[in-house]
Amino acid sequence: MIARRDLAARVASVEDLTRTCFRLELTCREPVVAVPGQFGMLRCGAELDPLLRRAFSFAGVRQVGEGWVVEMHIKEVGKGTTLLRRLAPGARTSLLAPLGNGFTLAGLSGGRLALVAGGIGLPPVLFAAEVLAAEGRPFDLFFGAARASELYEIDRLAAATAAVGGELGLCTDDGSRGEAGVVTGALERRLAGGREIGRVLACGPDPMLRALGRLATARGLDAELSLEEPMACGVGVCLGCVVELEDGSLVPSCKEGPVFPVRRLGERWRS
Amino acid sequence: MTPDLRTAVGDLRLANPVLTASGTFGYGLDLEDLCPPERLGGIVTKGLSPLSRRGNQPPRIAETAAGMLNAIGLQNIGVEAFCSDVLPELRRRSVTVVVNVFGESPAAYREVIARCERAAGVAAYELNVSCPNVSAGGIEFGHRPAALASLTAACRAETGKPLWVKLSPNAPDLVGTAQAAVDGGADALSLINTLRALAIDAVARRPVLQRGYGGLSGPAIKPVALRMLWEVHRALPSVPLVGIGGIETGQDVAEFLLAGASAVQVGTAVFRDPAAPLRILGELERFCAAQGVAAVGELIGGLQWL
Ligand SMILES: Cc1cc2nc3c(=O)[nH]c(=O)nc-3n(C[C@H](O)[C@H](O)[C@H](O)COP(=O)(O)OP(=O)(O)OC[C@H]3O[C@@H](n4cnc5c(N)ncnc54)[C@H](O)[C@@H]3O)c2cc1C
Ligand SMILES: Cc1cc2nc3c(=O)[nH]c(=O)nc-3n(C[C@H](O)[C@H](O)[C@H](O)COP(=O)(O)O)c2cc1C
Ligand code: FES
Repeated sequence: MIARRDLAARVASVEDLTRTCFRLELTCREPVVAVPGQFGMLRCGAELDPLLRRAFSFAGVRQVGEGWVVEMHIKEVGKGTTLLRRLAPGARTSLLAPLGNGFTLAGLSGGRLALVAGGIGLPPVLFAAEVLAAEGRPFDLFFGAARASELYEIDRLAAATAAVGGELGLCTDDGSRGEAGVVTGALERRLAGGREIGRVLACGPDPMLRALGRLATARGLDAELSLEEPMACGVGVCLGCVVELEDGSLVPSCKEGPVFPVRRLGERWRS
Repeated sequence: MTPDLRTAVGDLRLANPVLTASGTFGYGLDLEDLCPPERLGGIVTKGLSPLSRRGNQPPRIAETAAGMLNAIGLQNIGVEAFCSDVLPELRRRSVTVVVNVFGESPAAYREVIARCERAAGVAAYELNVSCPNVSAGGIEFGHRPAALASLTAACRAETGKPLWVKLSPNAPDLVGTAQAAVDGGADALSLINTLRALAIDAVARRPVLQRGYGGLSGPAIKPVALRMLWEVHRALPSVPLVGIGGIETGQDVAEFLLAGASAVQVGTAVFRDPAAPLRILGELERFCAAQGVAAVGELIGGLQWL
């Protein structure tokens, strides 16, 4: 396992992706190594309010010159994310990372690998897509959002899927781009069309993940969901972020997750 | 000149006054890579019960201005797993270990202590009679002086080691419960646990937490903790106290020592900064040096009241 650290970071850039989402790039002097699905706890400001750090998935990490650049995609939803959007380049912060587990990218025994993202669930899915593309492993990717203006990073997704001859399926709830309807619908249509899917890796809003959980359970599909539970510490000591498993136990998702195979999860995620 | 950071809570000598608070540092080794426990005054474990506990359904936490609410419900691995899997390693590293004890009955509290007495490596016990987030046990003792005195006496009979009682800020009579714990045989008192609180989701028109109420911790509660500590110290000046509540900086520690604490525990600050206890210790050392304080003991109870 890669050692977690409280990394001193500086804001390299803040750039709008959609009306509500932005890309935050941080530079660290210390090496940062993470796998798709892992996250970091980011300090939003120096004051006592907001008190807690915020959890964000890695959208990517790369070495640039002497340093490492961490890429995150963040949706502005409240106090912490509003402060982050206003950070100026050069501002200092700290990132406790890498935390949690990641998606299972290797060991597919048969069928195709399907990556599924909904809205701001894209960051770990994009990270997975670019890692898979670099390793030359085939996959299809389905990305859904409410409307065309909320689909972003399409060029990178197209490049990654094209590199391995995979399909990029875009969906919007209002039909303003790609297939009309929810992204799980697109996946169901592929299955109905006879496509063999060996594994599904997904991140997105709860209703999407629950729909995927039901689909995977009904079809006996191997699927992994990246869950978003409210977190205080991110490192397994507060026990605030628990998820109910199939055996009824409650486990901290920051440590045992955030990625869980559907078959391990409790009823809430499967029915 | 480097200030002398050594202190003592009654007979228990500590290398420095900064410990971790129960429920915020796991069982002592969970964050060892980010905050080595052997460098602290000590660690207080998550509340341990005779058997493992599953805890409450989520959501269990809610953030508020300069604080947070929790309703974890004392989820823990149980005293047996702690004694066999964790304690030997803590002992090997010479960590000062305070076991936080929780039970639904006096017999359950005694059982936890009895199991620890058969192991080596526990420095002291802290009775949690103040958790606002469980329906049985805990608070039913912490809020009723007579029940608290007999619970403390029952636990006293199990051990010759230092016995601390962690007081509830929600008790109707703070000094009365403090006195009851001492009457029952407590060697020291720690305070405060979290304050009963409510967070509301106005859109859903429901409490944010699944259990309804939760316990408030963090910087928001520091002034309340200081007031309660000082009240107990004034009423019972010879009883050693351990201060807890919203400590974020070395100067905060100095304030708690002045109000009568011989040592402190750092809780919620760990969630913001996992190395907070060590950082705070460094800040305390610099505060003492800057103020010409040769030994932290000089600060204890040193508040000059009006
Ligand atoms: C493992 C993980 C990965 C995540 N990855 C991303 C990502 O890549 N991009 C992104 O935009 N968001 C991501 N989130 C969600 C993100 O953490 C929240 O949107 C953020 O904490 C909101 O903070 P705020 O102060 O703006 O909102 P507020 O609503 O003001 O926050 C109040 C409190 O609720 C918590 N909270 C609110 N919404 C969420 C949520 N959806 N999930 C968890 N906690 C929440 C906050 O942490 C805070 O403690 C992730 C969450 C988790 C657990
Ligand atoms: C998530 C969480 C879990 C806690 N669990 C326990 C516990 O198991 N036993 C206990 O006596 N106190 C528990 N506490 C209370 C703390 O030990 C401490 O008394 C309180 O949080 C005030 O200190 P702080 O403001 O520094 O956090 C818990 C607090 C939090 C925030
Ligand atoms: S966020 Fe604290 S245990 Fe997961």
